[in-house]
Amino acid sequence: MAIRRRSLTAWLDGPFGRLVRHSVDRIFAGSESAEPGELDLGIGTVLAILAVPGAFAALIVSDRYSSLLRFIRGEHVAFNPYVASVSDEYFFVVLAMVIAAAVAVWKWDRLLPDRRDFQNLSPLPVSGRTIFVANISAILLLAAVLSLDVNAVSCVLFPAVVTLQSPFQVFLTFCATHAATVLLAGAFGFLSVFAVMGVMMSILPYQLFRKSSLFVRCALLFSLAALLSTAFTVPQKFSVLVRVRRPWTAVPPPAWFLGLCESMRKSGGPVFGSLAAAAVWSLTLVFVLALAAFSLSFRRTYLSSGESTESRPSNGSPASLLFRWLDRVLLKSAFDRGCYRFALRAIFRSQEHAFIFGMFGTVGVVLASQALIPALGTHAPAAGVLPSVQILSIPLILGFFLILGLYTAFSVPAPLRSNWVFRFNVDPQTRLSASLARKIVYTFLVPLLFAPCLIVYSHVWGWEVGLLHTGLVAAWCTLLLEGLLVKFRKIPFTCSAPGFKSHAIITALTFLLGYFVFTSGTAAVENWAFGEPALFAGLLPIVLSISFFFYRQRKGLIDSDRRVTFEDKPAPVVEAMNLVR
Amino acid sequence: MIALEARGLRKCYTAVPAVSSVSFSLHSGEILGCLGANGAGKSTTVRMLTGLLDPTRGQVLSFGVDIHRDLVAYRRRVGYVPEEADLYPFLSGWEFLELVGTLRGMDRKKLEKKANEMLGLFSLTSHRHASIASYSKGMRQRVLLISALMDNPDILILDEPLSGLDAVSALIVKELLKELGARGKAVFYCSHVLEVVEKICSHVMILKNGTVIAYTPTVELHRKLGETSLERAFVHLVAESDAEQTARNLAEVIFAA
Repeated sequence: MAIRRRSLTAWLDGPFGRLVRHSVDRIFAGSESAEPGELDLGIGTVLAILAVPGAFAALIVSDRYSSLLRFIRGEHVAFNPYVASVSDEYFFVVLAMVIAAAVAVWKWDRLLPDRRDFQNLSPLPVSGRTIFVANISAILLLAAVLSLDVNAVSCVLFPAVVTLQSPFQVFLTFCATHAATVLLAGAFGFLSVFAVMGVMMSILPYQLFRKSSLFVRCALLFSLAALLSTAFTVPQKFSVLVRVRRPWTAVPPPAWFLGLCESMRKSGGPVFGSLAAAAVWSLTLVFVLALAAFSLSFRRTYLSSGESTESRPSNGSPASLLFRWLDRVLLKSAFDRGCYRFALRAIFRSQEHAFIFGMFGTVGVVLASQALIPALGTHAPAAGVLPSVQILSIPLILGFFLILGLYTAFSVPAPLRSNWVFRFNVDPQTRLSASLARKIVYTFLVPLLFAPCLIVYSHVWGWEVGLLHTGLVAAWCTLLLEGLLVKFRKIPFTCSAPGFKSHAIITALTFLLGYFVFTSGTAAVENWAFGEPALFAGLLPIVLSISFFFYRQRKGLIDSDRRVTFEDKPAPVVEAMNLVR
Repeated sequence: MIALEARGLRKCYTAVPAVSSVSFSLHSGEILGCLGANGAGKSTTVRMLTGLLDPTRGQVLSFGVDIHRDLVAYRRRVGYVPEEADLYPFLSGWEFLELVGTLRGMDRKKLEKKANEMLGLFSLTSHRHASIASYSKGMRQRVLLISALMDNPDILILDEPLSGLDAVSALIVKELLKELGARGKAVFYCSHVLEVVEKICSHVMILKNGTVIAYTPTVELHRKLGETSLERAFVHLVAESDAEQTARNLAEVIFAA
């Protein structure tokens, strides 16, 4: 035993073990320039965060299997845990797949060794093959650890809840099949993204790969969000799959793994057998493809790093014409012009910021589609019929997440050590930060939300509804934005990230409550007001009062709380007066 | 005319001061070389001179006016090259220059003309729209130098401006600094490279433990210390151990079994 432990330690400390550890560290290290105050998620934090959704979901679904609750609901039929849990099992498979794939999308740039690795590792007496094997080992290890972590709690809790009244043997079978399914689904999700990345890297020129990466990642993120939304709709389709010739073509990949699970439990019919076969084949295919693409891309990117030039000439961006036009109509001061350009470039080009914004946007799109799909099913939109509450809430949902996504992204700094440009060139007394943030947010709101809202609602329900609804959406978005910007005094992306604040949980709960008031609450009132459009005039004093309240709040701030800041520090308990210099 | 003056600058982060006492006067047309070992207080001094750091005690004056009285106006007259070429990696070289020029309030046409001409002279035209992330250290340094110079500032504060530059670019910058000095610019030049300081600086200031231990015209430093080169004069003033002996000790450690 002692000898085995010694040899494991020797292996871990040896060149190969150290390279594997280095690869894992590199993937999970924070941003290149992470400094105090910058967003930097280490492996421990990431694993803890990733374990939460699975655990939370296992707790939420538990009430469906309570014998008391089933008795109260009048469900007295004999309980079959395998049949009863199919839709929840599908949900966990989707969750495992989506989270693992999302991590791969998030760590897209870190999975393969880069130029810096080449500079550091290639002079060492370690062969390229060893580095290759160490990196692929680290990625496979990571896929396994992630899958285990994401499903750790649900693998025990969910089977325990479902089989509470069944023999222990049933629990063991349920537990083992559930664990195997979600682990394989997680591996499939992770390796699929990895395969996409590897194939892109293998066939595209490096510069094109870099440029297209952000768009591909956003597309993948949207696909994952769509996959997540199938958790509520696909289980209802299983009954009709018997009539489909190739069932696996009619359902998304998580359903294949559900088929695998049911086949292992011997509780499914031939449909699940077909889906199980699709799961096994697709997993094998993705694994082989990922391995092949990785080998090719490793050869292209890492081994040829030394031969490629660092910088390549490139053409200018056509966005400069748009900026010049904006300079004339919107951006009057030097501060506005410089910082506005910088902020838009950061949102579109800095991967962290684009990703944060994309994540919020994705959640918004998913929730909006959740509101849209049932509404389309029950009441097809038509002229003359007023839009339902769900239909009215859609732009509000999108607006809420658009604003919150941008506001959150503003708080995450681009490399802090580079903000000397602003510290040196910006007037430290300036109070233009909130106005700048407002302009940036409206740059997104007008073309992405207000204009489509006006066009779509006017087209379907007439100009009156379109104008009233767009006006209300614009007013509500403005109020939300003004509320967020009351104490805002940063130049977006240049200030240190806010530390954990004692009232963070209260803030999160306020936002949750605010979401329902902002979306469903507003839409319900609006739907009621459409009965008598004159009632909309009654909303005007409310909007004006809230605006005035925010205006007074901002004006009431002391001067030092309105000046631009580069450090988000909590107010000191004891204020030093700095009387002696 | 005194373009930049430090009067008894002191900066304490902890009980031990990073800078204890720094005073000097830099006239228009002078190039003042600031030397010192690691931790001598050069960077802290530079940050106080640029107004990025408030001194615990003392004053920085520019053309006779305390810089904190109107920091914005002061910074419009200053071109600054920081020690590290930390530039936003998602911007291109041209976009970085546009950001700096815009924040400095430069006229758009003037900004474009100057930036393009200087990019050309620094051999960066073909790379001006490439992402800074793909730039070599020398290319980043050249972008930094352009950003400091393109607004034609009266005072230049340069912290290791030749860092990472190739021999030709370094020669261009050295000649340029001499030319700028001759045309009346005041240059505060921080460096570890003694030969360069000796060659281009009219005055030299040596810091040790946050205090000025020598502040004199470069030519007089040799004479006063009786040393033949600035390197020897520097070692004479700053070195706390015998460099040759330390090198021998290191070799012993390397060759030890």
